[in-house]
Amino acid sequence: MNDDYLWDKSGEPDPQIQQLEQILGTLRYQPKPLALPQRRNYFPLLAIAASLLLALLAGGIWLRVRSRNEAPPQQARVETPTPKPTEAPKPPELRSALNPPLSAPKRIHKPRSASSVLPAREREEALMAKQQLMLALRLTTEKLHLVHTRTQPNQIKNQHRVG
Amino acid sequence: MYATADMLLTSTPAHAAEQTQEPAIEVVLVRAVLQGDREGFSGLYDRYAPLVHGILLARVPRAEVDDLVQDIFLHAFKKLHTLRDEAAFGPWIAMIARNRAVDFHRRSKETVEINDDLRGSEQHDSRAAEILELIRSLPEAYRETLVLRLVEGMTGPEIAARTGLTAASVRVNLHRGMKLLREQLGYMEGL
Repeated sequence: MNDDYLWDKSGEPDPQIQQLEQILGTLRYQPKPLALPQRRNYFPLLAIAASLLLALLAGGIWLRVRSRNEAPPQQARVETPTPKPTEAPKPPELRSALNPPLSAPKRIHKPRSASSVLPAREREEALMAKQQLMLALRLTTEKLHLVHTRTQPNQIKNQHRVG
Repeated sequence: MYATADMLLTSTPAHAAEQTQEPAIEVVLVRAVLQGDREGFSGLYDRYAPLVHGILLARVPRAEVDDLVQDIFLHAFKKLHTLRDEAAFGPWIAMIARNRAVDFHRRSKETVEINDDLRGSEQHDSRAAEILELIRSLPEAYRETLVLRLVEGMTGPEIAARTGLTAASVRVNLHRGMKLLREQLGYMEGL
């Protein structure tokens, strides 16, 4: 059987196939427009996100500035390293002056924090100046004490005389 | 089943290109769509909607066919970037349509079987519906080829080019399917 008509609709038409085409043609695809999904426009979402981000940043900066202005002034914390037990070299004449036979009250001078921050050379100079100042103060104290002891017996004598 | 074996005798896009000029056109359209031209997909839709309609009509109830055609093309539009060979758009969307038909029947079994109302809608065009039911009772390879030829009005070379089957396979399927259909129609009056 020649099936050219069935194959490519060429040749002599087959009446049975033509009848089938006519009947089944009622079920043929009817063109309908395809509704493709709309393109998503992300600009409004991005704009909202950017606005929220800017608002959050501005709020954070404002809160930080506000908290700084309201907070009490605080001293800067300076960490003081433990002083080394090394003693500065003392001149012999100063050492004797610093340890007089008089029973002067011993004071424990803690090194200032600032001095520990200074370099070693400047710290030595500062210690020397401090020792000289202490020597001068001790000499002055002894002079005053001598004056005091010399003037004190007269007062007692006078009191006995009065009494 | 030899019918299934015939289905597997697919032609290469180059072979299809020798048969018609369509692959070149679909390559242009697919590339245009991938580059953002949405109108290009309308061209693909106009060209391949009858193929998808015929494939579905051979497998699922008529009332479901139109919606499934739309779903399949929307799915294809979203997944077009996964198409490796731009010249193979036809076989690709034909495979999607066949898979979607299988999914439809699987879901129908999970929920409810095709009820009388669904079948009843096919009884309006009683004559056409009866013949379509006969075609659906044929082996899968025959029914699809016959629907594309007798319902959608495509020629054998067009069917081969758009489905990716070889021309020889399509010709054999048409011949054997028509022979079986004639035998079935012998029981019907008027034909």
